[in-house]
Amino acid sequence: MTTSTLTTTQRIEKEPPAWTRMLDLSDRALAVLLLAPAAILLSLIIVYPVARLAYTSFFSLSLTSGLPAEFVGLENYQLMIEDPVFWETTWNTVLITLITVPGALVVGMGLALLANLPFRTQWPVRLSLLIPWALPLSFAGLIFAWFFHSEYGVVNDVLNRFGIEGVIWFNSPDLAFAAICLTIIWKTSSFMALIILAGLQTIPRSLYEAADVDGAGRLRQFFEITLPLLKPAIVVALIFRTITALQTFDIPYMMTGGGPGTSTATLAMYIHQNTVSFLDLGYGSALAVVMFLLSMCVTVVYLRIIRTKE
Amino acid sequence: MKKTLLTGLLFSASMLALSAPAFAEELKVYISSQHQPQVWRQVLDKFEAANPGTKVTIETGGNTSEAQAQYLNTIMSAKDSSLDVLILDVIRPAQFAAAGWTSPFEGKDMSVYLPAYAEANTVDGKVVALPAFADSMFLYYRKDLLEKYGIEPPKTWDELKAAVKKINGGENNADLQGLSFQGKAIEGAVCTFLLPYWSQGKSLVQNGKLTFDKDAAVKSLKLWKSFVDEGISKKNIAEVATDDTRKEFQAGNVVFAVNWSYAWAQSQGKDSAVVGKVGVTRLPAMAGGDQATCLGGWEWGVSAYSKHQEEAKKLVEYLSSPESSKFMAINGSLLPTYPSLYQDAEVVKAAPWFADAKQVVETAKPRPVTPRYNEVSETIRTTVNAVLAGVMTPEDGATQIESRLKRILR
Repeated sequence: MTTSTLTTTQRIEKEPPAWTRMLDLSDRALAVLLLAPAAILLSLIIVYPVARLAYTSFFSLSLTSGLPAEFVGLENYQLMIEDPVFWETTWNTVLITLITVPGALVVGMGLALLANLPFRTQWPVRLSLLIPWALPLSFAGLIFAWFFHSEYGVVNDVLNRFGIEGVIWFNSPDLAFAAICLTIIWKTSSFMALIILAGLQTIPRSLYEAADVDGAGRLRQFFEITLPLLKPAIVVALIFRTITALQTFDIPYMMTGGGPGTSTATLAMYIHQNTVSFLDLGYGSALAVVMFLLSMCVTVVYLRIIRTKE
Repeated sequence: MKKTLLTGLLFSASMLALSAPAFAEELKVYISSQHQPQVWRQVLDKFEAANPGTKVTIETGGNTSEAQAQYLNTIMSAKDSSLDVLILDVIRPAQFAAAGWTSPFEGKDMSVYLPAYAEANTVDGKVVALPAFADSMFLYYRKDLLEKYGIEPPKTWDELKAAVKKINGGENNADLQGLSFQGKAIEGAVCTFLLPYWSQGKSLVQNGKLTFDKDAAVKSLKLWKSFVDEGISKKNIAEVATDDTRKEFQAGNVVFAVNWSYAWAQSQGKDSAVVGKVGVTRLPAMAGGDQATCLGGWEWGVSAYSKHQEEAKKLVEYLSSPESSKFMAINGSLLPTYPSLYQDAEVVKAAPWFADAKQVVETAKPRPVTPRYNEVSETIRTTVNAVLAGVMTPEDGATQIESRLKRILR
């Protein structure tokens, strides 16, 4: 009996499936054939547009000029280096990332721990976790623009009730920036929380029971058990969040439109302005290439971190 | 024999099926939502009645000039044929002509329109669009309050300040704002900057060349900032857009307001707290300067990518006709593009101040005419916004406008 099974397996391993024999394909050719659909799809939707973007960035191409595209080499990049608004918007983008990513991580962690508590009815907590995540970004931006409105906003109203005089949030770069960051943290921490919550539920209860027996306190348990075991989930959440933070557009666009002046505009808004409003596709492409490189760097750094951990 | 009969039957059946939609030409008109699409609908209904077989639908979107421009930029740069007729802000024909996005009206006689609009729609000798309605900025004021304190409508900004101080002193109402204007970084803020700048006899662009006068620019920005600092305008003026000004004034919370003509109809509507209490006059001047205002108005263009060129042009001719202009003046309080309509009895009955408005529109100054207008506009409006928010001094603001405009208009 054992022998007969063995021979069957051997026969299958030795001979490729009937249909490949019919096509007379080698293993290598089969691999290529099977990978081709994915490779073609990726080329069409990722490689081609990115390559095209980089290509366009070397041209002077403005639809308002009425002139055909002209190769200008690195001129767009040189203009960028001399452009104060480019530096301002890039700095704003980096600052938003540095503030809102850790901010959303801390708030998201808190929410996840809260949602993981053994409540009798869990759906209200889980639902309220999901709502900010499910809300479109531009809606969130509009809603919070009204919250922070100096005359009709609920934030100033609450401040007034506590005897603090309300401020004109969007009249000051710092306050406007703070309002935008708060909104982004509110909007994105539920995404963090969802991923962390999934991570939390994979941690076996027995570990905490063992820690209880050994006399470890709640805080010790969090730092010795919860946090280390959550690391993979946190890294994944951070990668996604950082990349979307670098692309921040909707919330500042809806809340301040980049104002006052250009003090809260982000790189993505500046790209949008140059391409969609000014129709300067050459310069807009060069800006977009910079944003692409920025995202690439971040991804590479995170991937390194994951690899060294493993 | 049998076969031919069958083929014949099939053929005629398919002809019937095909001919039904082929009869009706369907045109899609883009009207921004702030331009009373429901009133334009009535004009389109008349066109449909006179042209059986043509069906016209409206697409709306974008309640500001910039939002609308962004939308149209995406549609047109994709060479999308879904829109046939487009409403365009007076500042856009130059850009649309440079990009080749509108079909020219060959041999069109533009002398029937107000000269400013004949000019705005003619680019390099080609008529690229036809006027929809005229407009310019005016000073709206509370007739009742000015009469109560025996004040004449101000001729200079200083007189306006004095008038506000007198009224505020007497009314003692913290909710009553002296002057509302546009400080948000929107298209209207470009005019905000230009009004006092022009009033000093300076021009910004001549024959495509920048003729920037820094001193006049500083004075303009300082004037607006002084309204905020002296408590004549509210502190959050940097948040105020055109329609906010309209709403505040209509609610009775403002003595003077800088706005376009469209605000009139609603200020006399059923939701208004100031029916019968509104006066409209020319905008004040800088001391020793002339009264200047900003030319507004919108135009009808035919998309170069429309598949119904003939019908679309016919529709635009109708929308831009004296008949339509009169209808919109009476029902939408939109200023006519034909000089004679300003004296028309029915028009004057609906909006008495239109009788004096012609002279204002005729002397209104156009914003810089350039294909790169969007960049010029962005520079000016974000700077005005930053100065009013107190982020930038008027001097730095003027320097910023100058250096950026130099780069754009080089």
